[in-house]
Amino acid sequence: MPPKDDSLDAFLPLHKDTFHILVALADHDRHGYSIMQDIAARTDGQIRLRPSSLYSAIHRMLEDGLIQELDERPCDGNDDDRRRYYRITPFGRKIAVAEARRLERLLADARATGLVPKRL
Amino acid sequence: MRDRAPALRVYRGLLWLYPAEFRDHFAGEMCRALADCLRQRPHPVEVLGLYLGVLIDAPKERYHMIHQDVVYALRTMRREKLNSLVAMLVLALGIGSTATVFTLVNSILLKPLPYPDQNRIVYVEEVSREINGAVAYPNYRDFQDRNRTLEDIAMFGSGLATLRGDIEAERVPSGSGTEALFRVLGIQPLLGRTFTIEECRLNAPSTVLLSENLWRRRYGGDPGIIGKTIGVGSDQARVVGVMPSGFHFPDVAELWMPLQFDPKHNTRMDHGLEAIARLRRGASVEQAQDDLRGIMRQIIQEHPTENYGQTVNVSPYRERDTQKVKPVLYTLMGAVGFVLLIACANITNLLLVKASARTREIAVRGALGASRARLVRQFMVESVLLGLAGAAGGIVLAWAAIPALLALVPEHLPMWIQFTPDARVLAFVTAITAGTAILAGAVPAWSASRFNLVETLKEGGRGSTPGGANAWFRNGLVVAEVAMSVLLLAGAGLMVETFWKLNSMQAGFRTENITTLQTAAPSDRYPNGRAAIELVRRIRKELAALPGVISVAGASGVPLLGRWGRSFTVEGAPLLGVKDAPIINHTLVTPGYFQTLGIPILQGRDFNQSDGKNPLVTIVDEGIAKHYWPHESAVGKRVRYGPPEDNEPWHTIVGVVGNARNQSLRDLRHNSVYLPLGEYEWASIAYLVRSAGGLADPAKSLRARLALVDRNVAVSRVLSMKDVVTQSIWRERFFATIFGFFAVLALLLALVGLYGVMAYAVSRRTHEMGIRMALGATSGEIRGMVLAQSGRLVLAGLATGTVAAVFLTRLLETQLFEVSPGDPKTLVTVAALLAAAAMAASYIPARKATRVDPMTALREE
Repeated sequence: MPPKDDSLDAFLPLHKDTFHILVALADHDRHGYSIMQDIAARTDGQIRLRPSSLYSAIHRMLEDGLIQELDERPCDGNDDDRRRYYRITPFGRKIAVAEARRLERLLADARATGLVPKRL
Repeated sequence: MRDRAPALRVYRGLLWLYPAEFRDHFAGEMCRALADCLRQRPHPVEVLGLYLGVLIDAPKERYHMIHQDVVYALRTMRREKLNSLVAMLVLALGIGSTATVFTLVNSILLKPLPYPDQNRIVYVEEVSREINGAVAYPNYRDFQDRNRTLEDIAMFGSGLATLRGDIEAERVPSGSGTEALFRVLGIQPLLGRTFTIEECRLNAPSTVLLSENLWRRRYGGDPGIIGKTIGVGSDQARVVGVMPSGFHFPDVAELWMPLQFDPKHNTRMDHGLEAIARLRRGASVEQAQDDLRGIMRQIIQEHPTENYGQTVNVSPYRERDTQKVKPVLYTLMGAVGFVLLIACANITNLLLVKASARTREIAVRGALGASRARLVRQFMVESVLLGLAGAAGGIVLAWAAIPALLALVPEHLPMWIQFTPDARVLAFVTAITAGTAILAGAVPAWSASRFNLVETLKEGGRGSTPGGANAWFRNGLVVAEVAMSVLLLAGAGLMVETFWKLNSMQAGFRTENITTLQTAAPSDRYPNGRAAIELVRRIRKELAALPGVISVAGASGVPLLGRWGRSFTVEGAPLLGVKDAPIINHTLVTPGYFQTLGIPILQGRDFNQSDGKNPLVTIVDEGIAKHYWPHESAVGKRVRYGPPEDNEPWHTIVGVVGNARNQSLRDLRHNSVYLPLGEYEWASIAYLVRSAGGLADPAKSLRARLALVDRNVAVSRVLSMKDVVTQSIWRERFFATIFGFFAVLALLLALVGLYGVMAYAVSRRTHEMGIRMALGATSGEIRGMVLAQSGRLVLAGLATGTVAAVFLTRLLETQLFEVSPGDPKTLVTVAALLAAAAMAASYIPARKATRVDPMTALREE
């Protein structure tokens, strides 16, 4: 249930786990372990979520309406009937985009001051 | 998979750390994710991290859930501000009252005394008809020498000592004791030492111990005070020690002198001092009592004429001082318990009403997946929050109430009674807060979680039906509240009546425009009877010269403040044994005493200046005269005081005066006799000053006048006679006030409860009322319908409460005066008062019911 007051600012900055989960769900509906794998793959194994922290984050994100649980199972060949699949909500997408923009601005600021080179 | 099964079982076990709701939803997923992780054969450290993660994340999840419930509850409370405020106030009053009374109970009955190993300190009392606890010195010596159960035994006394010196004379409460006293109490001096055995011998040079407070106040905390001499009474006494800060014994003593006994005077017949002892390690109070009773039996055999009918009681130190107030404190605790229960019932009702009103919201939450446990918890969180706010308010109330209560106590409380809250009070407040929250929240939480989703949603948001178990329960609560209020009001009514009866009691003496004061003259300057009598005459003359003063009398004591009882024998009447001889109140008085106090002289004459030792004369009261000489004049008859076998000299009756309640307003049994002041040497003389319209600033003007006679005469306790009377019945006033307060509180809370239930019932029946009015019911009929409904509840409560009151007010019996428990007049008054107030409280919702617009009510459907 998205909050009535959907001012994005209240959610920013996002917790890094939340942001990673949103990114993992951006192009795919996924189950929990798939999310963990996707994050690990994208960060070259730098970030490995534990099941306990993953599901705490998922619990919170469901409450906040950033993601939703799917009733049906997507047919991607790798399916397991018992697994729960999650999908990013339009609100979750808005939040993820807002967070990405925030990070972008931060990086731009850092570049403008010369703290960070123009190209890493 | 098989080799991973134990690992998964452990993990599944750890998941119990999560809240049930979370576990139900995610446990399977988490286990599958763990199995997937383990399939990758991670490093053992990583595996450990997977398990440890649960230990870190599960408590966070629990915290998160509680936090959410608290936020939700706060939001609901904010939405219903007025309801929540009323609930908090009700709880604050309930918890505050209970905490206040418990603080009293704790301070008086539970807190450990400020003495090391205080459980071993006991009072030793000799008890017979004439002796009320005091111990004779030779008996004390026998106890000391022969006992097998005491570590030490000491005698002590209390009084007032006059301090003299370079600055103005001052009377301070004093104590005296044998050298073992401080050992028995286990208290070491701050400076110097306590008394030695030699200092307690007869005619030993005078020594004195000071309290820390007196040492600082009067002697500027002089570190070299030890060894210096100060003026105490008519003596110069050497200071041997200063006691530690906060130590006062007995009661409020500020200074101590050694007790010196004279075997010639301190006989086995002389019971003037008290005894206190420290039990040997391992000895019980009962063993000590058996031991001393055995010794007492030996003493009686050895000295049969001097010890008659005595026995020895040994009791824990605290108990003797508190046994009188114990039942009263427990009764108060019971009364305040009812107040708290009424408050609880109110909150339960309020939450039930709220739960009913929120049925639809709760049903929707349930439909969206909130478990029943979650819904119950949300309600409980709300009642716990209300409880916490109530407790905070209650603590503030108790903090303010205790000094207000103490202001009603005119006496010096013993130093060990400290009304400061401690861990026990804190634990008690926590316990009653938790208990209240659970008691008040459980039923609403349970009832709210029992929704039927389909039915509720079908009802179109009107909530559950008004009938059913909920309504019965709410009505039951109101009946209980009314019943408990009746009980408290009945108790309060009886206490108020007792106080009122005592207050309007005819004391037999004038109380208006009389000022009383106590004095002490230094015995070295006024050594013999003649000088002391002359001093009294001069003081009377000087005080009489004050503007507005009509007459002044001196006496051995002020009525109701001190008592001196002895047995009494009439010449010619059969000689009674000391066990059966009546005990008569004695007062030494100057001429003019009866005139000053307005006590009528019915036969014979007043004393005159020449009355004294020769011939011995006395004045008796009407009660005695009528009892012994019903058909003739008592004047000229002879009576004798003291134990009948003593052969004390005969006194001739020269006058008969009206009865006066010298001992206590309650006491109807003790008659009084009066003796001329010159017959005995009496160190502390009281003066009674009667004036026209009272004296302006009596303490100052009387002291100034006395100083003109002799600066060394110390003055204390300047009180108006009215104050003396009021103080003598302070207990009754205290309990009437407290009971009255709790009863009014209970009544108000019950009315709030009744109002809430009726207002809710009316709001639920708007539709029905609309139809009735549309069909032609008049507003009078509608009003009558609502009032009848509340009338039934009130009547049930009144009946239950009255029956309970008939039985439970018996607990107050010992506190009552000239009114019996279950007094019909009181009960009828209480019932009428409550019924009227209850009807007034229901009238508001009833009137509201008549304002229902039929069209609006019907359209709402």
